[in-house]
Amino acid sequence: MKGKCYIQGMAAITPQHTFEGDPMAQPMVVTHGNMLSCAEPDYRSFIAPNSLRRMTRVLKMGLTASLKCLQDSGIAVPGAIVTGTGKGSLQDTERFIKEIRDYQEKALNPTPFIQSTYNAVNGLIALQQKCTQYNNTFVHRGFSFEHALLDSMLLLHEGTADVLAGAFDEITTEHFFIKGRIGHWKKETISNDKLYDHPSPGTISGEGAVFFALTPVVTTQSYAQIGGLQMLYKPSPEKLNIALPKFLQQHGLQAADIDLVLTGENADTNHAHYYEILNGYPQLPFKHLSGDYETVGAFAMWLAAQILKHQQIPSQWFPMLQQQPAKLRNILIYNHFFGEQHTFMLLHAV
Amino acid sequence: MAERVFITGLGMITAIGDDVADNLRSLRAQESGLGFTRQLDTIYKEVLPVAEVKHTTAELLAMAGMTGREGFTRTTLLGLIAMQEALKHAGVSDVQDEVTGFINASTVGGMCDTENVYFDIADPEKTGDFLNYIDTLDCADCTQRIADTIGFDGPITTISTACSSSANALMYGARLIKAGLVRRVVCGGTEALTRFTLNGFNSLKNIDKRPCRPFDQDRNGLNLGEGAAYLVLESESLVKERNATILATLDGYANTNEAFHPTAPSPEGDGAYAAMKTAMEMGGCIPADIQYVNVHGTATLSNDVAEGMALQRLFGENVPKFSSTKPFTGHTLAAAGGIEAIYSVLAISHQIIFPNLHFKDKMEELYITPETQLVEQYPVRHVLSNSFGFGGNNASLLISKYEG
Repeated sequence: MKGKCYIQGMAAITPQHTFEGDPMAQPMVVTHGNMLSCAEPDYRSFIAPNSLRRMTRVLKMGLTASLKCLQDSGIAVPGAIVTGTGKGSLQDTERFIKEIRDYQEKALNPTPFIQSTYNAVNGLIALQQKCTQYNNTFVHRGFSFEHALLDSMLLLHEGTADVLAGAFDEITTEHFFIKGRIGHWKKETISNDKLYDHPSPGTISGEGAVFFALTPVVTTQSYAQIGGLQMLYKPSPEKLNIALPKFLQQHGLQAADIDLVLTGENADTNHAHYYEILNGYPQLPFKHLSGDYETVGAFAMWLAAQILKHQQIPSQWFPMLQQQPAKLRNILIYNHFFGEQHTFMLLHAV
Repeated sequence: MAERVFITGLGMITAIGDDVADNLRSLRAQESGLGFTRQLDTIYKEVLPVAEVKHTTAELLAMAGMTGREGFTRTTLLGLIAMQEALKHAGVSDVQDEVTGFINASTVGGMCDTENVYFDIADPEKTGDFLNYIDTLDCADCTQRIADTIGFDGPITTISTACSSSANALMYGARLIKAGLVRRVVCGGTEALTRFTLNGFNSLKNIDKRPCRPFDQDRNGLNLGEGAAYLVLESESLVKERNATILATLDGYANTNEAFHPTAPSPEGDGAYAAMKTAMEMGGCIPADIQYVNVHGTATLSNDVAEGMALQRLFGENVPKFSSTKPFTGHTLAAAGGIEAIYSVLAISHQIIFPNLHFKDKMEELYITPETQLVEQYPVRHVLSNSFGFGGNNASLLISKYEG
């Protein structure tokens, strides 16, 4: 696809202190236990108290991250709002299922039903910012954020001046248990800072809400350029192997041009072999910071953009880093969600 | 210059038919699919009418050729049956002969099956076959099972924007083709009835205990339905290469947001107006070019006022024939946009306008009334198909006769 795409603003609510101040100077948050939860900000600076009372957690996280992102970019009313979410508002879905049972389908409060709708966050953002343009929500596991990004890039290419793109997912104790039943999480309880010392089946879970303001033009405040995006659904090892050099070649790059790969490596031995395609690349894993979830790619992109903007890797977050790269021009992100949805994203310094 | 996008295959299953031909027959016979549920376990079994597909899930498994396979939800099976028909209709025997995308739409994924086992799934004391359904909790499961069964190797994703989901899936598919990322993509949606959505809309007091009456003064809400519908979209170059039959063109589309209220439209129908106007203009049409509008027409109090006002604003004194087909199919949520896009294609290819069933009295807020008769041999060249949803999401598609 032709056309350019720059990150003009961004905001992230994650298990790390990424929301306020200088995120690159924050110490790593260490959690004992296999379920990382977001360090939630004070929502009252973003959402009116009467709205706040009705909203459940991921709605608050999503709306607040999107508003902070718009503030950061200086764009009040974006030309489109496109998001991705694997699970939408889990809390509301769980609550409505339970209330149907507990009240035997009678006299139900509709609020959890309304808020369980996957596009509820998009609707809230549109309502709050009076954004009457294009509005879309992708709900496809490890492709949710990436298709939101592709849709955004298409919109910029088609002439939309700016797009708010983002992703949000939450984890609940109930859902953590449910996904544990099909082997998503490690059996042994670990701390996130020790994730890679525990190669075994399963990983640790996480959550986050991350938004980006995207434009086709570069300015002095641009964080980075999004140069390329590719998705591969359940690729064979052969297909995956050729896909990476081909992807780089399509963007005029070779392996040696990649200064850093942020990899979705998560110490899950069931699906670790895919990351072997990165052998020889300078790389850092990031899921000890975020845990794993459907739209973690948005956090990886936020991280890559921060690193490119600051021209430095925050070493307190990456104790495995031996030395800062000589240059930081091109960052590749390679992630997959439990071996099914594989994604490459390419970011350039501006 | 971006390529034009053509519709080359249709496949569907609804309460009024197991395939497109069966749907057309029921539309012509004016046979509604509304009745009481046989599949859902709900206290509203004999209270709230629904438009249910007339097969058990086991029968659907056999119809889809999947007998003996585990973990296929009703949502997936409805989708798979519609998908198989759409590809066959388009003359595609092997989807891998050309990189083919699949853009699906769903509002609650496999909830139809998971809601029956959810408390077992969440209970550490219990174990059993229900664990096979854990992955069906989300919206991607149905898409991937359909994709894996058929063998799609292009872009795959799922859209969820409530009741406009599959209209947005069609739009996204068309844009992928126009951007040159793919030359063929199958788009639409699938939806099975669930206790979750039935209780959801009922808690909003949006469900009529009678068969729904779109655009009637005495309307009192919607009836839910289930079904699936897929349309094969292909680029002009691919259609020429393989000499495929063009059923209609998708020359215009729009997605707008009202930014008015989480679940209700603005009384003046601002979002509906903007969506229809933008779609029409994108396709190079003026109001006089439109012969038929397949309206969203859920028969809720607020939708029909808003949509009717939008029609009056856009078309003035010359509102084209319009009807809601929801009294036939019920409101099939994520599948509605796909189902109604297919009806729009049928309106063009058979030169026919479908009646808006159950209409009696004009709404006091409007001067227009829907078409209540089956109109044959009507010169239909351009159709607008509307899908509006929660979160203020409005989508409109312009489907046109192919005239070179």
